[in-house]
Parts: sequence; C-alpha cells; structure tokens
Amino acid sequence: MEEFDNNEIGRLLRLKRYEQPPPGYFENFLHEFHRRQRDELLRQPLWKIALGRAQDFMMSLNVARIASYPVAVTAVLLCAAVISLKIYQTTPAPNVARLSPIVPAQQTTEGGWSLAAPVSTRITVSQPRTHLSTHRTTTPPRYVLDSMPVSYESSLRF
Amino acid sequence: MRWFLIPFLAVALSARAEDQPASAISHEVKDIFDHCKRAVVKIHGADEHSELSGTGFFIDPTGTIYTAYSVGGEGSNFTIEFDGKRLPARQLVTDVRSGIAILKVDAASPSLPVGKSENMEVTTPVIAIGYPLDLPETPSLGLIGGFDRKYLGYYFHTTHLRVNVATQRGEAGAPLLNMKGEVVGIVAFTLENNSSCYALPIEAAEKIRSDFLRFGEVRHGWIGANLMQALDTKAGSSAEVTEILDNTPAANCGIHPGDILLQVGRREIHQPDDIIDASFFISAGDNVPITVMRGDERLTFNAQAELHPTTEQVQRIQRLQHPLMIAQPGTNQPSLPLSLEKAPERTP
Repeated sequence: MEEFDNNEIGRLLRLKRYEQPPPGYFENFLHEFHRRQRDELLRQPLWKIALGRAQDFMMSLNVARIASYPVAVTAVLLCAAVISLKIYQTTPAPNVARLSPIVPAQQTTEGGWSLAAPVSTRITVSQPRTHLSTHRTTTPPRYVLDSMPVSYESSLRF
Repeated sequence: MRWFLIPFLAVALSARAEDQPASAISHEVKDIFDHCKRAVVKIHGADEHSELSGTGFFIDPTGTIYTAYSVGGEGSNFTIEFDGKRLPARQLVTDVRSGIAILKVDAASPSLPVGKSENMEVTTPVIAIGYPLDLPETPSLGLIGGFDRKYLGYYFHTTHLRVNVATQRGEAGAPLLNMKGEVVGIVAFTLENNSSCYALPIEAAEKIRSDFLRFGEVRHGWIGANLMQALDTKAGSSAEVTEILDNTPAANCGIHPGDILLQVGRREIHQPDDIIDASFFISAGDNVPITVMRGDERLTFNAQAELHPTTEQVQRIQRLQHPLMIAQPGTNQPSLPLSLEKAPERTP
C-alpha cells in the first residue's frame, strides 16, 4: 500500500468512475446468469445430463426407505405378477389342441365294461360329436382295431 | 462231368417244384384281392374322443355296409371312401352284442358274396382286406386258427373265428374272405401282438341284418334258463338246466331244473358251451322248440322267446339318445318260426 500514495489512489478511483456497466446491467443480471448456466449445461452430452438429473432425483428421495425389506418384496411381487400375466396372455389357444394327447383306441372301452347278468354290454352314454372343426386337420384319426371284444356273455343262459 | 451236374439239376428242379405252389397261392390271392377290393371301403367318422378311421365292406348292391361296432357303433358323421369319392353314410344298425354296425350310403355299389363259416375248419386259408393306418387297401393271408367261444376267461356271445392274419390298426371291420372270395367273417378285434385277430362269423352278422329287415331293429331273444355242466352225460349231453327265472318263457313252457338240454331250435346241445350259439340265433318272438331229457324221458317244449333283457335296456337308452335311429317294429311282420333240420314234436 505504501507504493500508492493518496493522489495515485484518487486518480485510479477517478478512472473507475468511467468504468460503469452498461444501462440495465443490474436489472438483467439474474436473467443473464441463468442463460449462461443453461448454455454451460447444453454443452454436455445428453446422457450426462440425464444421469445428473437422475442422481439429483435419487438424492432427493429417502434412499434408506426404498431399500427397506417390505418395499423390495413388494417390488419383486409386482414384477412377477406382470411377467406371469404377459406369459399367459401370449400363449396361443391352438397350441393347446395341438399338445393334447391323442386318445388311444383302448381307452374307448375304459370303464365301459359291465358284467351285469345276464349279458354284459357297453352302454353308450355320450353324445356323438357334431363339431368336427375342433380337430386340427393335421391330427391323424384314431385307426380302429380294438384288442378286446365290445361285450362278453357273463354266464351260460339262454 | 455228367455226374458232377446231376446234383445241381436235382436242386434246381426241386426249387422250381417248391416255387409252383407258392406261385399258385400268390395268383389265387391276387385274383381274390383284385376282384373284391372295390367292395371294401375306408370309413371315416368321429366320436367323443377323436376322429376315427376303420374298414367296412358292401354286402348288397344298394350301399349297405358291414363294419365293426368299434368303427361304426358309437360315432357319427360317417363318410366312406368309394371310387375316389367321399360319400356320407348313416347308421342303420348298431349291435353291441354281436359287435357289428351296419351303415348305408345312397349309392349303387359292388358287393361281396356271403359264404359259410360253418364250412371252414382249422387251417383253412382266409384273406382279409383292410385299410391299415392311412395306407391303401391291403390283403393279408392267413389260416383259421380256431373256433373259440371263450377268450381270457369270458364267453363270447357266439363262436368267433380265431384267424392267424396279422391285422393293423384301421382294419377293424375288414371282411374275412375264403378262397372263393366269399365273406366268412368280419374282423372284430386283434389279439395282443397283432399277429392274429378274432372275426365274427358272417352268419352272426346276417342274423342281425335279418332282424333289422324283419322287425326294424335287432331283437335278441331269450328263454330265461341257466345251465351248467352236469355230473353225468345223458343222451350225449351234459348241459343241465339249473335255474328257471321267474316270469320268463322258460317258466311257462314246462322245462324244469335238472333237465338235460338236448336241442334248442336247430342246434343240438352236447355241452353247456353249445348254448352260446343256440341262444345267439334266437330272435324275440321266435317259437323255439326245446328238447330235454328228464330222467329217461325225452321231452320237447315250445317256448316263445322274449326280448333279451339287456337288449331291451340298450335299446331303451339308444332310443333316448337317438330317437330316430332305431325303427319301430312293424305290425305286419309276424315272427317267423325257425326252420328245423329235425322238427321235434311237442311231447308233454
């Protein structure tokens, strides 16, 4: 400070009197500050901006609460429900028919034998099919040749 | 050199001699196959399980088809492949007791002549023509292996032909032909390893068709008596009447427990098993002469057969399910008496 005497300081201050900011500088200062801030941000890549915002958002939340056990279980259950719903909705109906097993010829007599006297017979209780369109055209028919007779005589009567 | 050639000539001649019978059989089978295959049809249908496919054959020129009950008995929407076309077929008769079904198409058709299985014996050659799987009509040659009334401990309703013909799935209902090209049986079911099969004798199928023509329905008849093996044989028979059921023709005609059965209708009875065929060929309404031995007395009774109770039960159910399938018996169709080889007189 000793290098500058009072005169010299006075001269510098007089010079500063002519270094006034342009008119409206202080009124626009805040607006100009924000504009420059946005410009600085836009110079970064988009992914970096998104990451930064996500970090800000996460930081604004209560992380400890999110990581708590009930919340985690709920999230897992929700995910499982959504996934299972998706799976069932996307299974096409025709596959069910294609995967169903072909009934072998022997099963036509299953449970149908009656040895009640005097003659054992197999009694038809089912209605005949009327809608053939339910069968896939690629499904082969049941080629018939049973391995048992359709009925027996239960005793020697006449 | 000459002595050296003799063995070769002998072997060559013997081989040629062995070829001739085989060649003759082959030509014979080919002739029958070529002659009969047009009357054999593939049957398609559907039941409650799936679509099904089997074999049948025309039995008259008006499109009447015999097939097995397992093919045409319980299904619907039947069609047949005939002359390269698919024709719709309808059920005329289904009979679970004999194991056959009769279908009908509205078309003129070739037909197979009916032979007599009674004229056959064990080792008689037979030919089956069927549609195995999705393959075309196929002949199979075999021999009669036996005439069985019993299989795996149970009695058939009538004697069946056991035939050493290798049948495949799809051949149920196929005709069994003798070497004249006549039908003698209908393939009913296969034995365990498909090397043999059982066939219903054509006479049994004709009895069902005859019932349908006479009455509009199958009318198995019965008398109402039980039999078992007697301790002693009397007059060549060991079939003893053990029980007479109440409210049956047997109870009213005069036969008693203890009688030895000698003849039912035209069938002579020598053992209890013989009643199987005698019983099967009785139709409800028939006047059936029954000859028995009571003590030392030979007696003949006449019984009017009634509808077999099981048949009655099955028909009642079928009427409920398919009211139009079974025609009602006509009022102007009186029962026809059995034509007896030896007409016994009523003696009591």
